[in-house]
Amino acid sequence: MSELPPTTSVRRWLVTTNHKDIGILYLITALFFLLFGGVLALLIRLQLWDPTSQILSGLAYNEAVTAHGMIMVFWFLSPFAFAFGNYVVPLQIGADDLAFPRLNAVSYWLYLFSGVLLAISFFQGGTLTAGWTMYAPLNVPMYTPSIGSTGAILALTMFIVGVTASTVNFLTSIHHSRAEGMGIMDMPLFTWSILATVWMMLFAFAALLGALLILGSDRVLGSVYFSATEGGSLLWGHLWWFFGHPEVYIVFFPALGVMLELFQTFSGRRIVGRKWVIIAICLIAVQSFLVWMHHMFLTTINLEIKTLMMATTIGISLPFDLIVFSLIYTLMKGRIQFTTPFLFAFGALLLFILGGITGVFLGAIVLDYEFRGTYWVVAHFHYVMFGGATALVGAIYYWFPKMTGKMYDEFLGKLHFAAFFIGFNAVYFSMFLAWETPRRVFEYDPALQIFHQVGTVGAFILGFSFLIMFYNLAKSFVSGPDAGENPWDYSRTAEWAVSSPPPLENWPNRPSYASGKLEFVKDYVPDGGPAVRADEDGNAATDGGDNHADHIREYAHWDEHPSHASIWPFSLSLATGIMFLGLSGFNDSISIGAADSLATTPVTISNPVYPVLAVIGLLGVVYSGVKWGLEDFYAPPTEFAERWPFNGVEKVKLGMWFFLASDVLVFGAFISAAVFIRYNAGWQEWAPLTESLPGLVNTFVLLTSSFTVILALVAAHRNSRKGLLASLGTTIVLGLTFLAIKMWEWHHEIYDVGVTIAENSHGPPIQASIYYVTTGLHGVHVVGGLLIAGFLFYRAYHGAYMNDDRPIEYFGLYWHFVDIVWVFLFPLFYLF
Amino acid sequence: MIDPITLQQGTDWRAQAEVFDEIFFVFLTLGTIVGIIVVSYTLWNVYKYRDDGGEPDEDFDAPVVGELPTGQGGPKAKKLFLSFGLSAIVVISLVVYSYGLLLYVEDGPDTGDEGDIEITVEGYQFGWEYIYPNDHSQQNELVVPADQRIDLKITSRDVWHNFGSSDLRIKSDAIPGETSETWFSVSSEEVEEQGGEATYLVECFELCGSGHSAMKGQITVVPQDEWEEWYADTGNDSETENSSSVEGDLATPNLKASAAGGVST
Repeated sequence: MSELPPTTSVRRWLVTTNHKDIGILYLITALFFLLFGGVLALLIRLQLWDPTSQILSGLAYNEAVTAHGMIMVFWFLSPFAFAFGNYVVPLQIGADDLAFPRLNAVSYWLYLFSGVLLAISFFQGGTLTAGWTMYAPLNVPMYTPSIGSTGAILALTMFIVGVTASTVNFLTSIHHSRAEGMGIMDMPLFTWSILATVWMMLFAFAALLGALLILGSDRVLGSVYFSATEGGSLLWGHLWWFFGHPEVYIVFFPALGVMLELFQTFSGRRIVGRKWVIIAICLIAVQSFLVWMHHMFLTTINLEIKTLMMATTIGISLPFDLIVFSLIYTLMKGRIQFTTPFLFAFGALLLFILGGITGVFLGAIVLDYEFRGTYWVVAHFHYVMFGGATALVGAIYYWFPKMTGKMYDEFLGKLHFAAFFIGFNAVYFSMFLAWETPRRVFEYDPALQIFHQVGTVGAFILGFSFLIMFYNLAKSFVSGPDAGENPWDYSRTAEWAVSSPPPLENWPNRPSYASGKLEFVKDYVPDGGPAVRADEDGNAATDGGDNHADHIREYAHWDEHPSHASIWPFSLSLATGIMFLGLSGFNDSISIGAADSLATTPVTISNPVYPVLAVIGLLGVVYSGVKWGLEDFYAPPTEFAERWPFNGVEKVKLGMWFFLASDVLVFGAFISAAVFIRYNAGWQEWAPLTESLPGLVNTFVLLTSSFTVILALVAAHRNSRKGLLASLGTTIVLGLTFLAIKMWEWHHEIYDVGVTIAENSHGPPIQASIYYVTTGLHGVHVVGGLLIAGFLFYRAYHGAYMNDDRPIEYFGLYWHFVDIVWVFLFPLFYLF
Repeated sequence: MIDPITLQQGTDWRAQAEVFDEIFFVFLTLGTIVGIIVVSYTLWNVYKYRDDGGEPDEDFDAPVVGELPTGQGGPKAKKLFLSFGLSAIVVISLVVYSYGLLLYVEDGPDTGDEGDIEITVEGYQFGWEYIYPNDHSQQNELVVPADQRIDLKITSRDVWHNFGSSDLRIKSDAIPGETSETWFSVSSEEVEEQGGEATYLVECFELCGSGHSAMKGQITVVPQDEWEEWYADTGNDSETENSSSVEGDLATPNLKASAAGGVST
C-alpha cells in the first residue's frame, strides 16, 4: 500500500483507486471520445453534403461509419454515464467508496487502453468496416481482412472485460454498502437507474462478450462460426441483438436517472408516483431481454415469433409512457428554475418524446419492413440515445460545482444549450425527412440533398456547441466563483451534504438514515472490540453536514487506514492492452504447417512484432496479477449497511456470485451457438467428433477435484495447514490431469484423425470449430482456476488462510462453476 | 413453364406500397397530434410553474438535503395512471390495427398460385443476380410483367445484404444460407403511365462492404405480352449479352422512378 499523492501530481492519477478520482478520469476520457467520434461524424456529414461526393473512398467511409458508431455507443455513452455513476453513486448511498476500489481502477484503465487500441487500429491497415453492428459474415477476415479489423474487435472485447468488472463492482456496492436506514426503495433515483443499468449490463454484456470471443476466435484462431452457412449469419444477429436491445436502455437509463434527479432539484418537487417509476424501471430492465428479434423482422424468422416480438415491443413502451408522464407531472406546481442543467434535462425529455413516438412506428411490423436499413432508424436511435445523453450533458453542469467546488458560467451554459438544441434537431430531424436514404451510403437520391445539407449544417452547430462548454468549464475551473457545498435550492441527495469537492473518504462521520434523515454518527469502540452503534441521541450526530470542516475520519475502530493507491490496476490493464495488440496481428504473423504430431509441426513466423507483443503482454498480465494478489490493500467493510436482498452475504462472495452469473451468460452464448448451429445443420446429421471415454474420465476427474476443494475448505476451517496443502495440491494435480487428457484428445484429433479448427473429415467444418472453441473456453477457465489454485497453494504454504478461509471458499465457488459447465459440455460433445 | 393469366386488380388486391402508405399516414397523423399535444402541454406547464422569484405557495413543501423519500406513491398518481391508460390504449390499438394488415402483407394476395412468377434473387458484392424459373439468370435488372404477382426468394452468396426498393415498398434481408421472401405486383395502368415501361430503383439496405453505396439495381415492369416475348427468348440466351445491355441501362439510372402511391392507383 502506498499513500495517495496530491491531485497536482501525475502519479496520483495513475495509482488512484478513489471513486471520485476515477469518476473524473472517466469523464475526461469519455469527453475525449465524444470529440473523436464527433470528428468522424463530421466527416460522414461532409461526405453527405453532396449525393455524389467522394471525400472519403467507399472503404474509408465505412471505416468512419463503423468507428463512429462503436466509439459513440461503447467508448462515449456508457463511460460518460458511469463517470457520474462513479462519482455520485457512492455518495448517494452513503458509502466511502465502491466495494472493490482496485477493480474499479482496472475497469477504467481497461476502458482507456481499449480505446487506445481502437485508435491504433486505424493504422493497422484500416479499422473495421463492418458497421458497429458487425453483421456476419462481413465481420470475418475473408471480407474484412485488415489487421485493424481484428484490432477493433479485440479492443471492444477488452472494453467489455472492463465493463464486466465495473458491473460486478457496482452491483456489489449498491447491494452491499448502502448506509444504515437507506432501504432499496429509498435510494435516490439516479442510483436506482444505475442499479437497473448494471443488472442489465451483467447479462447483456456477458452475452456480447461471448459473441466477441467467438468472433475473436474466428479472426485469430481461424474457426469458422460466422462464415458457416448453417446459420452463422443469423447466429450473430441473435447474439448481437440479445445484447443490442438491452444496450439501448443501458445507455438510456443513466440519462433517465439524471432527468428524474434534476427535474426534482430544479422544480422543488418530489417525483410523482415514485414507487411506480421504480417498478417501471425494473419492468423495462427485465423486458429488455425479450424484444431483441424486433431488430430482425426481415430475416427468416417466422410470423409467430414476429408477432410475439411485436407484442413484447409494445409491452416495453408502456412503462416508458408512465415514466414520461411522471416526469411531466413532477414539474407541475413546482418552482421551476431554468438553470443550464435543467434546460439540458428538459431538452432531453422533449427529444425522448419524439424518439419514443417515432419508435412506435418501428413497432408496427409493416412500417418496420420499410424503415429497416434507412435513415428513419438512424434518426430514431439518435433521438433516443443521444437525446438521452443530452441529460448527461446537463449532469456535467449539475455536478461540476460538486466536483470542482467552482460554479460554471450560466450565460455560456445557456448559450451551449441553445446551440446544442438547434443543432441537434437540425441534424437528426432532417434525417426523418430524408428517411428513404439507405443507411451507410453516400450516393443518395439528389431529391433528398437539401435535407442532408441541413443535417450537415446542424452537425457542425452541434459539434461547435461543445467548444462553448469546454471553454466554460475550463474558465470556471480556473477562475469561477466558489460554489459552496450545495449551490442548488432544492437538492435532496447526500452528495450535497458534504463539501465541494468531497473529502477523500467522503464523510465526516458514519452517515446513517436510521432516524429517517441523513445524520453523521460517531461509533464507539468498547475495549477494542467491534464497533457499536451510537445511541439514538447520537452524541456526535451533525445535521445535514454543517460541521465537516475536519476531514479527519474519526472511526476509532479502524486500526488500519483504508488504502487508496495501487499501481497494479494500471499495470495489469496496460499489459492486457499490449497482449491484445499482439493478438490482433497474430494470425497474420504466424503460419502453421501440416505435420504428423505437435513436435514436428513447422511454425513460420513472418513478422515477430505481434507474437512478441502478445507474449510480453501475457507475462505482464500474470506478473501484475500476482503482485496485485500479494499487495496489502485494505478496503474496509461497511459495518452497518442495508443489504436487501443480500443480507448476510459477505462482500467478496457477493462479487463472486455476480461474476459467476455473468460467466454463466458467456458460456450460455457458446452453448446456444453450438445448439443453434447444430439445429440449423440438422440435429441428427452430426455424431460426436470424439470418443466418449476421455470425456467420461475427465468428468470424473473434475468432479473429484470439486470434492477436494471442499476438503480444502474444511481443512482451512480447522486451521490444518497440512490438510489444506494436501487437498489444494490434489485439486491442482486433478486439474492438470484434466488438461493432460484434454491435450491428448486434441492431439489425437488433430494429428491422427485430421480434425482441426477449420477442417473436419466427419462433417461440416463448423462442427470442429464448435468443438475446439467451446471446450477450449472451458479449458481456459480450468487454466485460470489452476493459476489461482497455485497462488493459494503458495500462500497457504507460507501459513495464510488459517484464520480466514474465505479466499478458499470463493475459489471453490469458481471451481465448482467450472465443473458444472463441464457437466453440460460433456453430453453435448461426447454423447449425442 | 409458366402460364401467365391476367389478374384483375380487385379491391382485395393491394400493393405493399399502398398498405404502407395507409399505415404510415395513420401513424404519422396520430403521432403528430399526440406529439404536439404532449409537448405543448409540457411547455405550457413549465412556463406556468416557472420560478418567478415570488413567494412560494402555501402548500409548497421544499425538499431538504438528506431527506428520505416519503409517500412513494406521491400525489397525482391517479392522474398518472389515467394518462398512462390513455396512451396505452392509443398504442395498442394502433398496433392491433397494423397487425391485421401485416397478415395480408406476409401472405400476399391470393391468386390461387396460378401465374405467380417465382424469381430467386441472389445478392453478391456488389450487385444482384436474378434467376428465373427457366434457369435464365441476369445481373442487376429484373424484368417482370405487369398485373402479375411476383414472388421473390432472396438469398446471398457472400455477405449479408438487404434487397429493397423504396418505390415499391418492398424489402427483405439477403442472408447467406437463408432464403427470405417477399412479393410485389405492378398494374398495367401504372406501366402505361410511365410510358410502357415502369422502372424502380433497387438499393442495398445493409452495409456489405466498400461498394455498398453503389449497389443499385433496377426492376423493370413491362406489359404482359412484351414480357412473354422477352421471356421466351431467354431460354437459350447467354448471360453476358443480357448483363451488358443492363449495364447500358444503368449508366443513367432513373433514380426516382415514380411516386410510391402510384403503384396501384
